[in-house]
Amino acid sequence: MTDTGIFPARKRRRQATDSIPVRVLIYTLLLIGVAIVMVPFLWMLSTSLKDQSRLFIYPPEWIPNPVRWGNYKEAWQALPFNRFLINTLFMTLLAMFAEILTAAIVAYGFARFRFPGRNVLFIILLSTMMLPGILTLIPKFIMWRSVGRIDTFTPLTVGAWFVWGPSFVFLLRQFFMTIPREIEEAAIIDGANTVQIFHQIMLPLIKPALLAIGVLSFQANWNNFEGALIYLNTLEKYPMVLGLQFFGASLSREAPQWHLMMAMSTVMAAPILVLFFLAQRYFIEGLTVGAVKG
Amino acid sequence: MLSWYALTLTDYVVVGAAIFLAMFLIHRLLRWFGVGREAATGYALILPWLIGLVVWNVGPFVASLYLSFTDYTILKPPAWIGFDNYIEMFTDDRRFWRVLRFTIGYSVINVPLGLIGALITATLLNQDVKGLGIWRTLYYLPAVLPAAATALLWRWMLASNGLINQIFGPVYSLFGVDKPAWFTDPQMVLPAYILMGLWGVFGANTVILLAGLKNIPRDLYDAAKIDGAGRISMYFNVTIPMLSSTLFYVLIIGIIGSLQTFTQAFFIQHTARAGTFMSVYIYQEAFERNSMGYAAALGWVMLLIILLFTLLVFRSSEAWVYYEGERS
Repeated sequence: MTDTGIFPARKRRRQATDSIPVRVLIYTLLLIGVAIVMVPFLWMLSTSLKDQSRLFIYPPEWIPNPVRWGNYKEAWQALPFNRFLINTLFMTLLAMFAEILTAAIVAYGFARFRFPGRNVLFIILLSTMMLPGILTLIPKFIMWRSVGRIDTFTPLTVGAWFVWGPSFVFLLRQFFMTIPREIEEAAIIDGANTVQIFHQIMLPLIKPALLAIGVLSFQANWNNFEGALIYLNTLEKYPMVLGLQFFGASLSREAPQWHLMMAMSTVMAAPILVLFFLAQRYFIEGLTVGAVKG
Repeated sequence: MLSWYALTLTDYVVVGAAIFLAMFLIHRLLRWFGVGREAATGYALILPWLIGLVVWNVGPFVASLYLSFTDYTILKPPAWIGFDNYIEMFTDDRRFWRVLRFTIGYSVINVPLGLIGALITATLLNQDVKGLGIWRTLYYLPAVLPAAATALLWRWMLASNGLINQIFGPVYSLFGVDKPAWFTDPQMVLPAYILMGLWGVFGANTVILLAGLKNIPRDLYDAAKIDGAGRISMYFNVTIPMLSSTLFYVLIIGIIGSLQTFTQAFFIQHTARAGTFMSVYIYQEAFERNSMGYAAALGWVMLLIILLFTLLVFRSSEAWVYYEGERS
């Protein structure tokens, strides 16, 4: 791995040559930037705790008075969100497991075994990242329809066995290539077969990379709107994101109930925000690995 | 209710088991045909992706090309109509041109603005600021919000009596203009989307570019300093060239992503008709108006546009992207 600036590999100190006014200017600009970035986010949290009658008060009220935690309960009970949560977790877990496992297997194949056509196939793999999803969506819909799987969770989970994320394969392959071959050679001499080497030696070694794509995969499946919109029709089968869309559309028919919509948006974002604070370096690792490699 | 989960669980286990069985069998088969052990194992390991390539990419790709030359409503078998879909699109469908202009306009404005803003921020963050981790977290935070939450949030921010109009109320009255209706105003819907888009990608781009900046070897700067280079000249002659491959990556990813904007657009319910994205238009044609053939043709035009833009950026990159390995 090259140093992506995430893992503190080496400390580089530059003698602070900047004068005090320049430092002040730098920090001021950064603070303004942070303010612009954080205001909408804080406004979402603030609105989610407001009483409906106080939504449009001028000047804007940042600390809600009174604080209404009940908004969350009210929004959650407006639709069967318990059911939506179970559906989302069901689909996310199944898809994540298959997606990560097959990506690791395929990446291992590309990283460690020589076979005719390997480089061409790898280039094809990378180029499939550019295909717009909407183009293949119609034939895929027809395919799932012909096997009677419309309005089931199957199209949103089973496809993950066939490597959904080419970028995951790319990332894991990079990781496999940094592992010295001697480790496997020693295992082969000890009589281990490919499955044993992969499962007992390689997977533990690439754990950081697996966590990085785990985070990406969780985000992608938790937020998968396009697929859910097309394949699911019954309200009780909706995942959170589709429930949120239905919620927004049905509540905005008359006066939009922004406090409830912001509460549900916050709920939708909460697991990802928690994950972000717990595992920030894996988010950043997954984000930057393609870029810095060039 | 439980039977829904059971059905999918069964599908999932059956398909998963079938894949592993297929990997095992292909390995046996190749060995039996005299393929070497290493190659046979390699092919077996990439089999899940190979099957996926055929079933999820090549197959649907060809099928959608065929469908684009047909009239297809899913209820009746597709009827071949030659180039009629494409002819209708370019000569008779005024909505198509509006959608196309809007989608490309969004991408062409949003991506460079986001890139420049992120470059400035990343450069500032790279000046040995204290508490870098905290700054990075704060800047990156909006980028991890689900697209759905971002869209609902900005619908609220840009509502006619939302926060943005409240804050800028005095500015509007100073210039004697009405407060804009943003997403529902055909004139303002593009700026509204751009504001939302910038906010969403800005932090992620900053983090990527910062990682790129941190990756530039320090000794290059030391060498430049010995040559008497000033700060500004160092930035444009060392930093930017060394960062150009990362900038290129962010540009490509940004263009491909922004041309395909879907979820956000779908969550912004009451847009002006002027503000429809290509992906949403394709969805509406395919799944609301049930004209799948026409939608497939639209999808192909979209693919060609993405390819065209990617190609243009790749072509131009020969002039401005600098790869260290190519140094002569």
